[in-house]
Amino acid sequence: MPIDQDNGHGNVVVSVNNLTKKFPNPMTGKEFVVLDSISLDVEKGNFASIVGPSGCGKSTLLNIIAGIETHDASDGGTLDVYSHSDDAQPRVGYVFQNARLLNWLTVEDNMTFALESQEIPKDLWKERVDKYLEMVGLEGQQKNYPLNLSGGMQQRVAIARALAIEPDILLMDEPFSHLDEITARKMRFDLMEILMHANPTILFITHDLGEAVFLADHIYMMSTKPARIFKHIEVDVPRPRQPEDPEIFDLEKKLVKEFFSVLDAQAIEDG
Amino acid sequence: MKSLILKPGLIPGMVTIIASVAVWQVASLFFLPVFLPGPLYLLDLIVEVYSDPASYSVIWKTLVRIFNGLVLSMFIGTAIGLLMGIKKHFESFMDSWIMVLLTFPAICWAFLSVLWFGLSEIAPLLTIVLIVFPFVSMNIWEGTKALEKELVDMATVYRADRWMMLRKVLIPQLMPYIFSAMRIALSLSWKIALVGEAFGVSSGVGQKLIYWFEDTRVDMMLTWGLSFMVLMVVIEIAVFRLWERHTFAWRHQIAN
Amino acid sequence: MSEKATAVSIRISSIIALLILWHFAAIAMADAEILPTPISIAYAMVGVLVEPGPEGKSAYFHVGVTLGRTFMTFGVAMVLGIAIGLAMGLRKVIEHSVMALIPLALTMPTILMVFLAVMWFGFSEIGSLVAVVGVVTPYVAVNIFQGAQAMDKSLIDMAITFRASRKMLIRKVYIPQLLPYIFSAFRFAFGMTWKIVALAETFGIKYGIGYMFFFWFEQFNMELVLAWIIMFVILMLILEHAVFARLEHAAFKWRPANQLQT
Repeated sequence: MPIDQDNGHGNVVVSVNNLTKKFPNPMTGKEFVVLDSISLDVEKGNFASIVGPSGCGKSTLLNIIAGIETHDASDGGTLDVYSHSDDAQPRVGYVFQNARLLNWLTVEDNMTFALESQEIPKDLWKERVDKYLEMVGLEGQQKNYPLNLSGGMQQRVAIARALAIEPDILLMDEPFSHLDEITARKMRFDLMEILMHANPTILFITHDLGEAVFLADHIYMMSTKPARIFKHIEVDVPRPRQPEDPEIFDLEKKLVKEFFSVLDAQAIEDG
Repeated sequence: MKSLILKPGLIPGMVTIIASVAVWQVASLFFLPVFLPGPLYLLDLIVEVYSDPASYSVIWKTLVRIFNGLVLSMFIGTAIGLLMGIKKHFESFMDSWIMVLLTFPAICWAFLSVLWFGLSEIAPLLTIVLIVFPFVSMNIWEGTKALEKELVDMATVYRADRWMMLRKVLIPQLMPYIFSAMRIALSLSWKIALVGEAFGVSSGVGQKLIYWFEDTRVDMMLTWGLSFMVLMVVIEIAVFRLWERHTFAWRHQIAN
Repeated sequence: MSEKATAVSIRISSIIALLILWHFAAIAMADAEILPTPISIAYAMVGVLVEPGPEGKSAYFHVGVTLGRTFMTFGVAMVLGIAIGLAMGLRKVIEHSVMALIPLALTMPTILMVFLAVMWFGFSEIGSLVAVVGVVTPYVAVNIFQGAQAMDKSLIDMAITFRASRKMLIRKVYIPQLLPYIFSAFRFAFGMTWKIVALAETFGIKYGIGYMFFFWFEQFNMELVLAWIIMFVILMLILEHAVFARLEHAAFKWRPANQLQT
């Protein structure tokens, strides 16, 4: 694991401050606010989760952090991602809702595609591929093609691919939402085990409160239209966690109630 | 207030067309009209040719041949395509032959027709049918593959009523495929007809083309060629608009 | 018998049945100028392959000429078509400008294109090149353009999040997605090119299979016309199906077996 450097930002990997994003609506000429003054910090080794109903801009935030989209800098919002390795550039790994594998490349080549893009030296490739495939439970699948794998297995490859670059931050956008419930449950457990062994820094998006409470250290609750973070909760339950843990269950109930009250208030506001 | 919504592609498209015609006109000034006629010169020639009533019988002859070839190709092609869809053995039998037929250049059939039947109506007809029906068969066969299960069910349950089922249930479902097959068939048929006429008969637009080709008169050849192209495109569009409206009228009715 | 063996045996027996039918029909007609027997055609084909033909040029010479023209013109037409198709995909202006002229290009009958090419550029290699490019390139361009439009944006985004270089994007993300379109354009275009070259040769571009078609046609020699046609068709079938099908199969081995499309 890379050694922590004192880069002046302490343990923070991602720092978002008053980030805003607006979309001009071509039909009405008015601006549609997608993200409204979002602020959050993710510290090294932590699992942060953003929870909110679908369509509230959570994916947009992740895309901005990953560099696929831009934010409105003119409004004074800032976004910083800090490198905690020897490289000057921070490494960002991303796991999408769909595995987004290159179906014409083998599992191994899919992973080395990411390694090569990140300019990781070639002599490290084999060991990284083997190590992270084993970590997601797919050892031996190196030479297989994605279309021969199930949906869950494809998603595991996507996770292994993101982990293999040993990112400063691992972004996950509802990675289990397209899987059936049984597979999703298994994946959550496996993700928790990966957390306990490899200790990556994760920013995880979901609309499933139960999932967030089970996995996360920090939960940021987001409302929709515009997307605003209205609550931040720390989850102090030690790992390994069980979904049936009474603490987990109670916390989930409490947060669901809070969500409903916020949504109701907003409905009244919208009138 | 009616606002003119300009399709984004309209302006570059129109600019390209106007510019091309302009370049053509300018280029034609450097050559003799018999070698490179300009657009204006061609328009004059076209008017001249179409003022002559004899031209219309030439075109009519070609149109009749196209129609005959198209109808025959559609019948044979649809029948074969259907059979291929229904009987597995027939499918294996036919698909190699269709593959072979698809490699034949039209000109070969034109030559063979002449050797067999001399200069006659058979040459263009045979050429069109043998080139076009494989395309039609492939299209209809694709359509049957999409309906295969229903074909089998139909065949087993309603044995006595098979012909009724064919007419009332099968064919309407195959209509989109028949439709698209016919568009391809029409588009191909008229081009092949020209080849068939060039070698096989002594009348028709195709014969005019080869006549002026051998006389090295680009201007006359383009007069006949381009005007016929325009005519066929208009026919294609007209026939298909009308047919679509008629055949899929039931969809419009359901929608209303 | 397995399904595949049944299919193959049906094909073989249909060929044999056809040959037998042909044989008896030919004997019934008793006119070698209309319908020669299969055996006489076979002899004629052997003769063509073994003896030097008219003007002392062997069959291999003619086949070589046609093949050479076909590959050369096909190569140029494909490269041009791919370049234009890609350009159309990259710049909307190019897309709209080219699409304005495409209907004309696609409607132009092959025979007219060949006539024009030959009249303007002569009975030469240039003439055949122009004819092929005029017919094939527009088709390939449209095909490739459609492929460029069908690119999966989600994969491009994924590659961007990993900071893939432009070269890697092109090699590993863009090109593999274009390959199916290139292949399908390839096969269709190759078939078209053969026919255009043969047509151009029948109209007088010297030497080649088409030239032989016309030569023996003028002599009313049914046997040799048929012999050359059969050789042409066999050659085309071998190229189109044995060669291209294999190439395609190798390129798409990552597709699961039950989804293999020919």
